[in-house]
This record gives sequence, structure tokens and C-alpha cells, in this order.
Amino acid sequence: MLNSFMTKFRNAQTIKTLCERAEAHALRDQQQEPGAEHFLLAALELEDDTARLAFSRAGAIPDGLHSAIEQQYSEALSSLGLPIGVTDRPTVSVASPAPNGVFSASVSGQDVMQELAKTRARHSPLLGSHIVAIVASMPHGVAARALRSMGVDLDDLRLSAEAVSRERKRA
Amino acid sequence: MDNLDKLSVPKDPEQALAAVVALRRLADKVEAEAVSNALRQGWTWSRIAQALGISKQAAHKRLSVFAPLNTPQ
Repeated sequence: MLNSFMTKFRNAQTIKTLCERAEAHALRDQQQEPGAEHFLLAALELEDDTARLAFSRAGAIPDGLHSAIEQQYSEALSSLGLPIGVTDRPTVSVASPAPNGVFSASVSGQDVMQELAKTRARHSPLLGSHIVAIVASMPHGVAARALRSMGVDLDDLRLSAEAVSRERKRA
Repeated sequence: MDNLDKLSVPKDPEQALAAVVALRRLADKVEAEAVSNALRQGWTWSRIAQALGISKQAAHKRLSVFAPLNTPQ
């Protein structure tokens, strides 16, 4: 009973950290609502280190994700005939939106949160690798394109993440 | 780029839709930069909204995060 309560408490703390960091990544990207790619970046920063481990086991360099996200935007624009580097606009600093007690995410970010809620019974505790598994199971969108541009096979990444989660649960 | 006819929309849906997302993001970045500059140069939210073709409330709600510090609301 106490264990279950402690796990729920820890999971709530992890979700809070995850949302705050995802939001910070979105704001740095001049977007007001975090998407799946921002949740993935946030998961790689969680102290449990399981997201980074899942990446490494799938042959991906975790620190390459941010530049891969930029790269896929650049490649997408060049596929239209626009010059490479056109996205390199000067960064306008973005203030955090006034807190209104409601966390809002973009559609892909909402998908991540909904999947987390749906699978919460399996999270004891919630780990970065759970987020990686969820995002890796989304075949389309910015995160999927960025991961593919890193040479990552999405199924491999999902399986690695699920394995890491299982191992951590047993430990 | 001389004209939009030179834009080649990829036939592959994944690539074409990725290009749409990237264009929207680029437009958002240009908008943020333009609004920030306008506010720095003393433009009011009413003028900015009119120039963007949206309501003042919509402009303020969506774009006030790009306001430089000490900008009158």
C-alpha cells in the first residue's frame, strides 16, 4: 500500500518534470506547445537515464537528437526547393506563458500524454524509457523523421526502450 | 526565389507533409521576429493585429510571449 502510494507520488513528480522540460524545449524552439519531439528531448534529460540507455542500445547517440530535429526541418524545406539554412533565423527570446494552471501540448504532445495515461498501470515507476517507447511507436511526425534521419529504426528503438523498462522494473 | 512556380511539392506524402510542417514553423519564426521588432519600434498591439489581419485579442494571446521585456501591454 505504502509502496503503491510512493510510486504514484514519484510518477507524478516525474510527469511534472517531464512536462516542464518539454515546455522549455518547445519555447527554445519558439513553439508554445510541446510536441512529441520535445517530450523525447525531455525524457533524455530525466535522471533515471533509461531513455539514454534505450537510445544507446538502439545504436543512436542521444545528444544527436536536437540537431537531427533541426536537420529534418531543413531537409523538408529543401525538398520544396528552398535553400538549406533558410530556417536559421535569429532566435527571438520567448517568455514563458503566464501560468493558468493548465498544461497544454500540441497534438503529438497530447498523444504522448494520453498514451502515458493509458499505460500507467505498467509504470512502476515511470521512466524515461517509457516515453521513448511511446514516441518510437509513432511512425509519423517530427520525432519520427528526426529519429530516422539519425539512422534509427523505430521498432528497434521501441523494443530497446521496452527492454530497458522491464529490466529496471525487475532491479 | 523568383516565383512560387519554382516550388516543387514532393510527390511522396511523407515528404510533402513534412515540408508543410517545416514551412509553418518557418512562418512562425518569421512572425515572432517581425512582432518582436515591431514592438521594439513602438508599434501597438492594435497596429500589429491589423497588419496581420487578426484581432487584437488574438494577436496578444498568441504572440505576447515574443514581446521584449518592458513592452506596454
